[in-house]
Amino acid sequence: MIKFGDKSRWGRIAVLLAAGALAASATYANESGEADFWWSPGSGETFPAQLDYPNDLGTLRLVLDGGPMETAGHPFFEPLGPNGRACITCHQPRDGMSLTPATARAQWDATGGQDPLFAAYDGSNCPTMPQGERDSHSLLLDYGLFRIQRAWPPVDLHTGEQVEPDFEIEVVRDPWGCNTGEHYGLDAENPSISVYRRPRPVANLRYVMTSTFNMDPKTGMPYLNDPETGEPIPGNLMADARTGTLRWQMRDAARSHLEMLDELTEDQLQRIEEFERRIYVSQQTMHTGGNLAAAGAQGGPEPMVHFEAGLLGTLGKPLWSEFDAWREPDPNATPEELEFRASVVRGVDLFLHDTFLLTDTAGINHRLGFGSPYRVACVTCHNMEHMGLDAGAGQIAIGTNNSPFANQNPHLPLFRIRCTGRPHIDLGREFLTTDPGYALTTGRCQDVGKITAQTMRGMASRAPFFANGSAEDIGAVVDFYDRRYDIGYTEQERQDMINLLSAL
Amino acid sequence: MRGLRFTAFALSASLATQAAAEDVRFVTCPIYRDTDSGRKSGCWLADDPETGVRYDVSQSMARPHWAYGVLVEGNVSDDTEDTCGGIRLLPVRTSVLYDMECPRHMIAAEGYPGRPLPFAERYVMPVFVERDLPEPPYEDTSFSLVYDWNDDFITYNHSDYFFDIAALWIEAAQPARVIVTGWADTKPVEISGRMMAEDPDVARRRAEVVYESLLRRGVPADKIEVRWETHAQPADVEAADGLTESSRRRVDIQGIME
Repeated sequence: MIKFGDKSRWGRIAVLLAAGALAASATYANESGEADFWWSPGSGETFPAQLDYPNDLGTLRLVLDGGPMETAGHPFFEPLGPNGRACITCHQPRDGMSLTPATARAQWDATGGQDPLFAAYDGSNCPTMPQGERDSHSLLLDYGLFRIQRAWPPVDLHTGEQVEPDFEIEVVRDPWGCNTGEHYGLDAENPSISVYRRPRPVANLRYVMTSTFNMDPKTGMPYLNDPETGEPIPGNLMADARTGTLRWQMRDAARSHLEMLDELTEDQLQRIEEFERRIYVSQQTMHTGGNLAAAGAQGGPEPMVHFEAGLLGTLGKPLWSEFDAWREPDPNATPEELEFRASVVRGVDLFLHDTFLLTDTAGINHRLGFGSPYRVACVTCHNMEHMGLDAGAGQIAIGTNNSPFANQNPHLPLFRIRCTGRPHIDLGREFLTTDPGYALTTGRCQDVGKITAQTMRGMASRAPFFANGSAEDIGAVVDFYDRRYDIGYTEQERQDMINLLSAL
Repeated sequence: MRGLRFTAFALSASLATQAAAEDVRFVTCPIYRDTDSGRKSGCWLADDPETGVRYDVSQSMARPHWAYGVLVEGNVSDDTEDTCGGIRLLPVRTSVLYDMECPRHMIAAEGYPGRPLPFAERYVMPVFVERDLPEPPYEDTSFSLVYDWNDDFITYNHSDYFFDIAALWIEAAQPARVIVTGWADTKPVEISGRMMAEDPDVARRRAEVVYESLLRRGVPADKIEVRWETHAQPADVEAADGLTESSRRRVDIQGIME
């Protein structure tokens, strides 16, 4: 029997769906029929070739290319550091290999807040807050946010030397004391900035780690090279590009999130990377729309195992051509399925063709050369086939962090940025942000608030969205863009976009 | 500094030309006309402050930012079809002037269809598209990138294309030396009532960006010589598209075989 977590508390049962080997395909639920939510580090279970989790909209599916894998002793699944966490702690299958606040709350309730997930270092709002109290972990429990501590001034990625920034940071609001305290913050012995971000999904990484171009159009230079392999580093991995390769990220995460004192071994690095490149995730079924691979469509993760990665929609198939078959009538579908499929197809058309004016969006309007304003569609930036990543990978400031465009986020710290060189082209010499983003890596004022786009697959299982979790659900994502760029979606168009994004 | 050799260098006079200046060269606040013929179809207009003539500058590879002034350099196109509401300039280059703030001007389409940005002819193909390396024989060869005013950015769909050609040639030819020379147009000139001269330091920055870019494309540091010069002269280089004045703002990449 496959089981996860504390069986006595949750009384879980594993319901096997597919015929064949025990570990080949599984759906997990508790006795109430609710999804079994937690994969415990060190559980030693087999990761099946196909794993389904019910969610609010239907079913999320994970596919492990190459078949089932034993997780006993596997460094992705075993606690490696002193805080008892493993990679799997914050990259849960049920959450599309990310982690949702709902899952964090459930684990809080299940363990009385004692799970390693709530480690003081980054699983609490600030390590100096009283641990074990809910209020000290509210960002993780309510928004799915982990604390990310960045050195200030930044350190050059390759030379290790301190970067001289062309802007100053002043803390305007510090609700948790981690930017103005004695031990953490700008005045600490080792000055740092604490920002709060969602964990990016560890899935579909074969796509994320594929370079479409050797030039980064947003920096006007070729991508940096991996010092270990000499190969160009794709720019889509981390929100602030503080690491560029999987191994680099693993080492960084081991030191920070796992609090490891020792370096990961070569064997551990190899095994983690091998797993990460095999795992795919996507929504597979919808309550209202049925199977996303029905009637010739290619939804779900299985096709993603076989598609070529890194293709550009403009030169190949248009984005979301996975649903092209639904443009033809299907006599076997129910009226509800037909209605949902038609909505998804309309959503695809909006994504590809409905244009709006992009303004004040550093990284696209400037310095790339597109100008500001610039008439675009969603696909202009979200253009990598099958993923919706930016094939010209890089960082963009769409306004999720920077005033005046960001949602109000009183639970987040607020910083005043003062450019000491050239003023920010869109925001002037002084402006406010909740997260300087890419500028915490580069030290450049023009990069403040820039964040790397991320995969659009598996969204139905990993709300909230944007790096700072400021969009509570998919509808809020659509609404943000609608407001930010004055798109003017009708109610029907809004729902069509939601249905498309939910089906990815 | 990573084995660079920085030396003063006067580029061969053979590059310099006496070509005529651009038809128009002026500084103004840009105007965005919100035409909508699909993605990338908006129009950019610029009024010459001295003549009041309105030009269509939409086909500049680097387009304006509506909050800043632009330096417009271009020739009047033979194509007289007016799709944006201005005399079409082609070739044309617009440089954003960050020290010149402008009111944000946007006007309606007013019946103009706009001019969708065509699929760029100067487009660096994705890595999944097979590339042909230049074939031998290899001789000493020079490549040039042309820049916006006072800027060191390698522009998408233009300068990156020429940089890519240079990098591919270096990869194939394996020259003994690569000389990177950055130029700045530092001689003051009055344009639309403004005295304009590039910052001399932009010559260095242009050269160093290209140097770093070549490193990332695998060219060994000890093969590259970096130089920079001011008081640049015009050059007859493809990347300038025949725009004489803007050709002063460039980086030359010379591959030396011996």
